[in-house]
Amino acid sequence: MTFDPVANLQLLVSGLAIGSIYALVALGFVLIYNAVGVVNFAQGDFVMFPSYVAISFLLPSITIFGTIVHWQLPLLLVYAVVLVLMIGFGLLFTRIAYYPLRDRGWMPVVISTIGVSIFLRNAAQLVWGSQPQVMPSPFPVQTIALGPLQVRPQDLLIIGVTALLIAFQYFLFERTTLGKQMRATAQDRDAARLIGIRVGRIVTITFVYSVLLGTISGLLVAPIFTITKEMGALIALKAFAASIVGGFGSIPGAIIGGLAIGVIETFGGFYISTAYVDAIAFVILIVVLVVRPQGLFGERVGEKA
Amino acid sequence: MSRRRWLGLAVLLIVLLCVPLVVHSDYLLNVADIAGIYAIAVLGLGILLGFAGQLSLAQAAFFGIGAYASGYMTVHWGWPVLPSMAVATVFSGLIGLGLGWPCLRLSGHYLALATIGFGIITQLVLINWTSVTNGSDGMTGIPPPMIGPFALATYGQYYYLVLASLVLCAYVAWRIKSTRPGRALQAIRENELAASTTGIDPTRYKIVAFVLAGAYAGLAGALLAHSIKFLSPDSYSFDQSVIFLVMLIVGGSGSIGGAILGAVLLTFLPEALRPLKTSYIMVYGAAVIAMIIFMPRGLAGLLSAALGRDDAAAARPLTNPAQPVEAKSA
Repeated sequence: MTFDPVANLQLLVSGLAIGSIYALVALGFVLIYNAVGVVNFAQGDFVMFPSYVAISFLLPSITIFGTIVHWQLPLLLVYAVVLVLMIGFGLLFTRIAYYPLRDRGWMPVVISTIGVSIFLRNAAQLVWGSQPQVMPSPFPVQTIALGPLQVRPQDLLIIGVTALLIAFQYFLFERTTLGKQMRATAQDRDAARLIGIRVGRIVTITFVYSVLLGTISGLLVAPIFTITKEMGALIALKAFAASIVGGFGSIPGAIIGGLAIGVIETFGGFYISTAYVDAIAFVILIVVLVVRPQGLFGERVGEKA
Repeated sequence: MSRRRWLGLAVLLIVLLCVPLVVHSDYLLNVADIAGIYAIAVLGLGILLGFAGQLSLAQAAFFGIGAYASGYMTVHWGWPVLPSMAVATVFSGLIGLGLGWPCLRLSGHYLALATIGFGIITQLVLINWTSVTNGSDGMTGIPPPMIGPFALATYGQYYYLVLASLVLCAYVAWRIKSTRPGRALQAIRENELAASTTGIDPTRYKIVAFVLAGAYAGLAGALLAHSIKFLSPDSYSFDQSVIFLVMLIVGGSGSIGGAILGAVLLTFLPEALRPLKTSYIMVYGAAVIAMIIFMPRGLAGLLSAALGRDDAAAARPLTNPAQPVEAKSA
């Protein structure tokens, strides 16, 4: 195969776009893990569920509980409504799935997030049926020309929004009291509590923030993916892999790991094999775990003995 | 074990032996076969998680490897079923060795993640390696097992094979638990560092636990293959691994009876919930959350409390003293 710089640049753009999605979901994992020491197995469903909620309001007509409805609200209003609804959902999630189990170590919480995941996926199927759905694109055209490149505007939107969110998060963590409290809680909960930080509230905020990261990824990715009850699962597993590759617990690691997995996977799918494209992330994961278990940016591996 | 307990087990076994004589519904016997098969896979996971404290989410992958290995040997090589089941069991155990080896330096979440990766890759191989697995179309024409000239063709006959395998697996698990290797595994679960100072080699014992978990799942898979006689990659997904894990946790992770009870209950529960039609799995998800919140010690803990007995192992609440909720110093 001859080397075609234009085609490769186009691959790079779509790789960075899907990688941005992995990065956002990976950030959600890492923030929750840092705050409470638990991997949230429902993180992928925080991508799937809001996508369904959004199309309920967006599509000209959609079947909900077997009844056809015609809401079709304006796009920006829908985004706002979905974000507000998901804040409520995040509060509920923390209250039900985390709060009663907070003193029992990580495994019961993991199981309970698995329960939430099963619940959400099948609730989605019950409400919206098993037919895959398509979210209308916010852009009138499929591709736009960027010099010699033909790129999807949605890809550029994904990359742009992700960059903004990362900048926002940097500002939040470095410059605001709330962000500093979140970092302090992640570093040492007991010490944070001793200096008067209301740890319970900070943990709730962290959960809600992670839900919102998932929601935004869902709203961004839905126009280029089909919406199914399983759509979040694979994204989440690859985001997991990304956060390990980057070094679990490391925020820059999650971002770089996500982008790297997105790009490598896109190129691998093009040059190596489309059938095994979903395995690429996990091969990278296992290689990294064996060769450099702490990940690219990690400091230590394994939980404390 | 006390004499009373042996007696209780003997009565239970006799009752179980009589099931196909009393129950004539093919549907119920089929569900019973599957419950027993799942129980074997869950027992294997119990050795790894309940005894040794290592969380694996690849149990369905080994389940699939055992099923496809036994299916392939009987369909393509014309092997008799029982020997190929045994070979499939050993083969899955060896794959467990292959996975356990590189993953040993990992623990907790990291191990769980590596095993998820392994599970996904296995399923993709099952889907794409069509010359061996026949891909998404599935493997068909798998023969039933023969004992002498008799084929175990009905679900009722197959039930006895499943029951015998389950009893054997439970006995092996019990022997392991009540002898030195089991105590070594439990010491590793509680505190790996402390265990190693008493002369236990954590690496070796964890590998053994991995191999056993793989072999148990492989045997369960082989039993499934020759029961339903059709294999499709969908049955060996990550979700199935999660279901095995949930069965174990609901049953009580350190307890052999709990593992079996959890598997049987959660195999029959969706069947009982079927009248709810499409919402039954949703209710199942909610039930899992409720059980983990309100039954911290699993069914085994609940039962031993009800019987007024405090079986220390069964009653161990599901927490990880060895791996506290630990903030990262990023």
